[in-house]
Amino acid sequence: MAMLALLYIGFLSLVAIFSPLIAGTKPIVCRYKGEVYFPCIEYYIRGWKYPIFLKDRFRNVFPKNLKKKDPDSWAIFPLVYQDPYRRVRKGEWEDRPGNQSGAEGRPSQLNLFGTYGTSGIDIFASMVHGTRIALLVGFVSTGIAAVIGITVGAIAGYLGGWVDMLLSRLIELVLCIPSLVLILALLVTIDRPSIWHMMAILGLTGWTSMARLTRAEFLKLRQSEFVIAARSIGAGRLRIMFRHILPNSLAPVMVPIAFGIAAAILIEAGLSLLGFGAPPPNPSWGTILNSGKTTIQAGYWWQIVFPGTAIFLTVLAYNLIGEGIQEATDPRLANPGN
Amino acid sequence: MTSYLIRRFFIGLLTLLLITFVIYGLIRTMPGSPLDTDPAMLDPSKMPREEDLERMRKVYGLDKPWPVAYIQWLRNVRYGNLGHSYSQRKAVSELVKQRIGPTLTLSVTSLFLTYLLAIPMGLYSTVRSGKPEERGISFLLYMLYSFPSFVAALFLQLLFAVKLQGTALELPLFGHQSPGFDEMSSVQQTLDRFWHMVLPVTCFTYASLAYYCRFVKANMEEVIRQDYIRTARAKGLGPIRIILHHAFRNTLIPFVTLLGLTLPGLLSGAIILEQIFNWPGMGQLYFGSISTRDYPVIMALTLMFSVLTLLGQLLADILYAFVDPRITYH
Repeated sequence: MAMLALLYIGFLSLVAIFSPLIAGTKPIVCRYKGEVYFPCIEYYIRGWKYPIFLKDRFRNVFPKNLKKKDPDSWAIFPLVYQDPYRRVRKGEWEDRPGNQSGAEGRPSQLNLFGTYGTSGIDIFASMVHGTRIALLVGFVSTGIAAVIGITVGAIAGYLGGWVDMLLSRLIELVLCIPSLVLILALLVTIDRPSIWHMMAILGLTGWTSMARLTRAEFLKLRQSEFVIAARSIGAGRLRIMFRHILPNSLAPVMVPIAFGIAAAILIEAGLSLLGFGAPPPNPSWGTILNSGKTTIQAGYWWQIVFPGTAIFLTVLAYNLIGEGIQEATDPRLANPGN
Repeated sequence: MTSYLIRRFFIGLLTLLLITFVIYGLIRTMPGSPLDTDPAMLDPSKMPREEDLERMRKVYGLDKPWPVAYIQWLRNVRYGNLGHSYSQRKAVSELVKQRIGPTLTLSVTSLFLTYLLAIPMGLYSTVRSGKPEERGISFLLYMLYSFPSFVAALFLQLLFAVKLQGTALELPLFGHQSPGFDEMSSVQQTLDRFWHMVLPVTCFTYASLAYYCRFVKANMEEVIRQDYIRTARAKGLGPIRIILHHAFRNTLIPFVTLLGLTLPGLLSGAIILEQIFNWPGMGQLYFGSISTRDYPVIMALTLMFSVLTLLGQLLADILYAFVDPRITYH
């Protein structure tokens, strides 16, 4: 099961990395007035645009304008001609109708997962590009949390004494505030929260379990022979902590990291669902759910079912991976007696 | 034990001071103040005059630097005064009194259901460990455990409130009572409340149900391999007596700790769900107070949530010593 989950995460990572090649309205590569361009890069760097297409007034509509302004041009387009940020209009692509909205926006050949009820933006494209946000949130916020947690835990566990006492109180302090309460309080102190702020906040609040585990491991390993040996040949504190003990204590810490990624994705989706996420247009899975929630009475099920399933599968995959690591590293579970 | 309790009490008090200090600092540095997010004040004809604003700032302590205002807040709390809500113009304690009922109906019902279902299910899966039906239950529970409750809430709303609209299975989309609630007879009122509770309680229950079941099973698996279970079996006791009397009783210790840790969740556990179901509880109050920058309400709720968390931990420790006589605190 854990391997299956790992495969799924691998698949999602590919989707995330190559999202502009899967769904988008900007050519992957095109030749225009004698030069070769890669307009799909504009999806990776928000706010940046090729000056030449701005100057020639393409207004993000490539197929028609490329032909009109340079008959000799050619272009390779993404697999699905749909945009996560705007509605595709009639005639943009030869003989293709524009995106419908409302009840007419149900899943069809044009819009695989349907469209937003209000704006008519394609949901498949939004979800493909939203994969980038979901995975990024998981990795970045858990990465921040892991750095803080491991450092705090290592210092507390290795130095012991009053440092340990102080840091343990700090861990307890953060643990005592309900995480959602703290995250909301932090989130509203920012004027215009972006997805990066959200990741930082999730990282700053989610490190306690890793700190506790690292501390316990360090307390245990501090007295072991190899540490005493390292100390006797004159290795410095930092060297012992991070070169000798840390690699030996990393396995149990991997478990809360995997679960932490699942929790981060979950909280990001939940906050976006409640409208506390990064402001639209921002194709996060939670934001799609949010628009589904506001129009739920109209019965646009595709706005809820597809992103909801994606969130569920991703959280499930990370939980399975965490469980797999736990089983692999915990000797008590490794050998079932029955 | 007494000296331990006293020490814990003072550490807890210190923790509370730190938490409230940090949160107070945070909310005072939020952009926007309660005086300019009140919708009534956006109306130009009702715009308060500058001297009125000045007076209000003074009343609410917004004219002082926040550490000073924090000390003042602390002084009021010591006398049990949690302050007045800016946006609702009511005492905070009164607001909390209004909201605590709906939240508790939701969380206590769901906690009760969880225990009622989780223990038999956990015991059943222990007995049937390794058999296909146990595998089935475990798989299902794992799926449920990973299923985000807000996604489940939306799915259920879509199914029962929208797709099944007009059929006998229709359930209310949100709220905790129907519009004409006051005119109904008491039987109708009870039924109406019940129907409104079905979806939120289901969403609130299933995730913790999965967690508790796995918890019961994991602990039972550990106990059931002990020598004294073999002894009990050897002297010819029936399987039910062994499971309930010998094994389950010994798994109660971790169970009791869990009970302590659920205490804060009773009030703050359903912030997102309450928002989705438009349930007039504490979570919704907290949400509303954050968007209107209602400092006194935010502070009061943070204080309550933190107190409950600390109490829960303390309770878990005390109960721990109570159920397991081997544990003593010094």
